[in-house]
Amino acid sequence: MLSGLTTGSIYALVALGIVLVYKATGTINFAHGDQLMIAGFLAYTLHVMLGLPYLVAMLGAVIGSFLLGALAERIGFRAVLRSNLINVVLATLGLSFVLKGVARLTWGGISDYLSFPPLVSPDPIMIGDLILLPQQLVVTAGALVVMGLFALFFRLTTIGRAMQATADNPKAARLVGIRVEHIHMLAFAVGAAVAGAGATLMAPLTLLYPDIGFTLFIKGFAAAVLGGLTSLPGALVGGLAIGIVEALAAGYIHSSFLEVSAFIAIMLTLVLRPRGLMGGPPPRRA
Amino acid sequence: MLEVEHLAVSYGPTRILEDVSFHVPRGRVVALLGGNGSGKTTVLNALTGMVRPRGGAIRFGGQDCAGWRPDRILRLGLAQVPQGREVFASMSVAENLELGAYTRRDREGVRRDTERALALFPRLREKARRRAGTLSGGEQQMLAVARALMSGPRLLLMDEPSVGLAPNVVGDMVAAIRALREEGLTILLVEQNVGVAAAVADSAHVLQAGRIVHSGPASGLLDDEEVLRSYLG
Repeated sequence: MLSGLTTGSIYALVALGIVLVYKATGTINFAHGDQLMIAGFLAYTLHVMLGLPYLVAMLGAVIGSFLLGALAERIGFRAVLRSNLINVVLATLGLSFVLKGVARLTWGGISDYLSFPPLVSPDPIMIGDLILLPQQLVVTAGALVVMGLFALFFRLTTIGRAMQATADNPKAARLVGIRVEHIHMLAFAVGAAVAGAGATLMAPLTLLYPDIGFTLFIKGFAAAVLGGLTSLPGALVGGLAIGIVEALAAGYIHSSFLEVSAFIAIMLTLVLRPRGLMGGPPPRRA
Repeated sequence: MLEVEHLAVSYGPTRILEDVSFHVPRGRVVALLGGNGSGKTTVLNALTGMVRPRGGAIRFGGQDCAGWRPDRILRLGLAQVPQGREVFASMSVAENLELGAYTRRDREGVRRDTERALALFPRLREKARRRAGTLSGGEQQMLAVARALMSGPRLLLMDEPSVGLAPNVVGDMVAAIRALREEGLTILLVEQNVGVAAAVADSAHVLQAGRIVHSGPASGLLDDEEVLRSYLG
């Protein structure tokens, strides 16, 4: 249950990036998980290979992801965002393969699975009957801090306001002088940056490998769908729900349910409540 | 103030505007009339940079701004009240107004213009905290006009501000346009409702199939049966 909360908060971060890009551009970014994977390797390079402090590595992964996300939009997506949805989806899938290839070439030679050292002592803390792993607490708290910063950015900054406006009505956004292309670029960049933070938080709990992106994408996507795909609070609730359900299903039914439960969640949501828990109408594309 | 010469616009292979020329003098209200599909909205979209003209010149205050980006044209002083209102439905009335001033940095001027817009439409002041999507059609239209005014325009382009409104609300809108004109604002008004155009405009141009087919003083419009019947239906 508690470990579910931890993985859930990571899923929520992944979902946040997916929802952000979807709201701003009307597109599902299928490369989102791979951007996260690259960020994880970036953090690994900075922290483990170069020996920089963990927080510096995290900042590096966030900034690196931000720039990569912006670059991907500029050279990969901008031209196709004006055409039909299929082209955009194919472009994000293309990026996904490119990133996986880059990861294999760059980091794959070291070993297939890279382990990231834990931040705090691995000894569990006992509170009554509860067994708490300090690492999990750190990760959950970190994820919540990142989400809080993100929410503040959205509410308090002019750019956040402009992103909200573009998601609400792209045509009106253009009319009031918002440069919608810049907003699209920023959405991909900020989405990737959040993924970067998520990757660095998650890395000490899991192993890093080039194919981790897709697994995480599916979990994050399930969380986003459950939350309604257009709602940022929905992404948080969806992420936590998927994490907890996954942990419970693995614990009480069978461990094989760990991987399947995200898919089941997507299917059940689409059949029973297609708008998700907190979703509104789909965004209009610019 | 605004001079449009031989403006031509195509969507793909389809020619929407063939050859459109007209002037909007400073301080005047000029109406652009025409039936559905005559190209009225496209003229406005070309003026504000929402579509790129295929040919022709658009001069505003001496600047040729044809093909400029929408945000640059807005900074130049051309603001559009779009057809169908297009407010930010999930955001509050106050936030909509704030976004109208997105291109401006002069806080003092923005505050003044907020006051001016709310004085023009007092109902918006009462509902400043309400989400724009929950407003009535007439209130949303007022908000769309107020939002465009927030950019501090020298020329206001209005796309069918009377469409879909109850008759008494149309009256309010006519009064608002007259008030703006009294303040000295230049307005280009696109309308299907000849009555509204005749009530507020100085002169009128009639657009049909992408060309200007008639130009004259607006006051004579309602009497000119030939214009009414043949071009506006």
